[in-house]
Amino acid sequence: MAAINFFLGLTVGIGIYVGQQYRFKQQLKSTLKSYGTGEDEEISLPLHSLIRRELIDLNRQRRKLEKDKQAWQELIEQAPIGYLQVDGENQLLGCNQAAKDLLKIDSRRSQRVRLLLELVRSYDLDSLIEETRRSLRPQQKEWIFYFTRYAYPEDKESETNAYKSSRRIVESIALKGYGFPLSNRQVGVFIENRQPLVELSQSRDRTFSDLTHELRTPLTSISLVAENLQRRLQDPEKRWVTQMLGETNRLIELVQEWLDLTQLEAAPERTLKYEEIKIYDLIESVWLTLEPIANRKKVTLSYSGDRSIILEGDRSRLTQVFLNLLDNAIKHNPPQKEIFVQTSSIESEDISLPEKIKVDVIDSGRGFTANDLPYIFERLYRGDKSRTREQEDRNYSLDGSGLGLAIVEQIVRAHEGAIAANNHPTMGGAWVEVILPVKKSEKN
Amino acid sequence: MTLSPKAKRSEANQLERSLRRVQQEVLRMGTLVEQSFRLSHQALFERDIDAVKKIGELERQIDIYYRQIESDCATLMTLQAPVAQDLRLLSALMQLVRDLERIGDYAEDLTEMAVKLMKYTPHQALGDIAQMSEHAQLMLATSLVALADLDPSAGARVKEMDDIVDDAYDRLYDIIAFQKDVPGVVEPILVLGLTIRHLERMADHATNISQRVTYIVTGKRN
Repeated sequence: MAAINFFLGLTVGIGIYVGQQYRFKQQLKSTLKSYGTGEDEEISLPLHSLIRRELIDLNRQRRKLEKDKQAWQELIEQAPIGYLQVDGENQLLGCNQAAKDLLKIDSRRSQRVRLLLELVRSYDLDSLIEETRRSLRPQQKEWIFYFTRYAYPEDKESETNAYKSSRRIVESIALKGYGFPLSNRQVGVFIENRQPLVELSQSRDRTFSDLTHELRTPLTSISLVAENLQRRLQDPEKRWVTQMLGETNRLIELVQEWLDLTQLEAAPERTLKYEEIKIYDLIESVWLTLEPIANRKKVTLSYSGDRSIILEGDRSRLTQVFLNLLDNAIKHNPPQKEIFVQTSSIESEDISLPEKIKVDVIDSGRGFTANDLPYIFERLYRGDKSRTREQEDRNYSLDGSGLGLAIVEQIVRAHEGAIAANNHPTMGGAWVEVILPVKKSEKN
Repeated sequence: MTLSPKAKRSEANQLERSLRRVQQEVLRMGTLVEQSFRLSHQALFERDIDAVKKIGELERQIDIYYRQIESDCATLMTLQAPVAQDLRLLSALMQLVRDLERIGDYAEDLTEMAVKLMKYTPHQALGDIAQMSEHAQLMLATSLVALADLDPSAGARVKEMDDIVDDAYDRLYDIIAFQKDVPGVVEPILVLGLTIRHLERMADHATNISQRVTYIVTGKRN
């Protein structure tokens, strides 16, 4: 009896053991299947070999990834653009050589992990990082980074004495930063050196305005002499001189426009004379000036929107803006079609933002060509050459100089507004959108 | 480029974290003060009129930081009851932000003087004054670096640099005060006199900052 009981117990025990083993193996297999690469499903090796295979495979993958990671890090280290990464508490985790050079990070001080602000005292960089972390979106920012030299314990005395050192104390460099949010509240920042670009465009503008300054006086005297000659000569010489006078005056106006543009850009607030303007009256009076040309093509103006909107701005400058825009619109409008001008106030949810109004000028022409669109507001850019250089347009100084829209943009910007050009999605014609603040900004 | 493994910050206790946050705020304020010093320099010596507009906004921000840091320090001192170096750090920071704020105030004054000076022809001593201003900026930068590094040796070093500024002040004072046959009104001379006085005071405050850093680390005042 005892033997039977013993064997019964043994059988039950063995049964349970085998059952558990089986379940364990099944579980292991299904785990392997869900984690494995999936190709070797059919291989019927013993389970422990399968596991070893899987582990070796994983190890190989890990090493490959490690190598990849190193290659990428090496690449970033060598990159011509600066890169740095900070953790959630703004501690610098790492940066490449370019970033060290641009931000003048002292390698003696960056051995251990420490606050970025301790190494780079730049408020702009700090706020770029904070903004990126707060918004969780990529951010961009341009600023001028100033680096003030300091005296480090190991520096020689000649280095730390401003009176003896030959190096400059304060250096500046124009930078552009791109912040990207990463996991764990970390932020990565690319830093680009804008200094060569800034210097180049400054020297171009300076050269050009020097040149125009130099040109103005001789051109004026040429035009005076031509005027005198014109009175004394007979045809055919008289005709030549008249032609010369016309061209000279065109050049003088080009020069004057360029000087205006430079002045507007350099000191917008000093160039503008603010007063209260009813925008409808302004557009109406501009249209009256242009009416002779408009009548020739039988083009009419269709105005919609609130006629009582008043804004603060420089009357003569804003007249120039709409004169340019409407003149362009008439020129590119097919005969007997309308030009639309719409004004509307922009409703903003944020009360702290200044109130703004929007003026749309839309013509019924073919619109801007796709090639021209990005360059419309560039100085001296002329769109479709065959169109703008037609003989009849010569009478209008603003056309053909290639400065008209550049001046428009500069005036709008001086008013702290914005301008955009596009083709109207439904009407198809050229669509210029001008946004202007209603009140003069406090800062000026 | 190798990224440092994530710094072991989990074990830092609340006091340490708060201290680091306050220190970061002080450094932030420092960058703003440096920026206004630079703007005053640009207004004075490069006749940059835009600087005048920008500095008002900066001063407002500096003021906000100043009040915030002061109240943060007071809160930490009462609620966390720090001891030894932590206590010295907090009490020194409280006085240090005052020095920073004063430097900012002087910078704002300097831009106002720059506006007054703009209508006169530049004085011959202006080049020397520019150098003095640069040297004071170097001192401020050195003090801020010392604060970041908690470097106790900076106090003595900045003090030496301060002597150079003091000498420059005496020399410039003589040049400005004892010139003869001055044509026109006295305003430019008066303003220049005040300018070098301000610069000298700014250098003094920078020296104070570095000496407070020495005090934080060593606990000794010199």
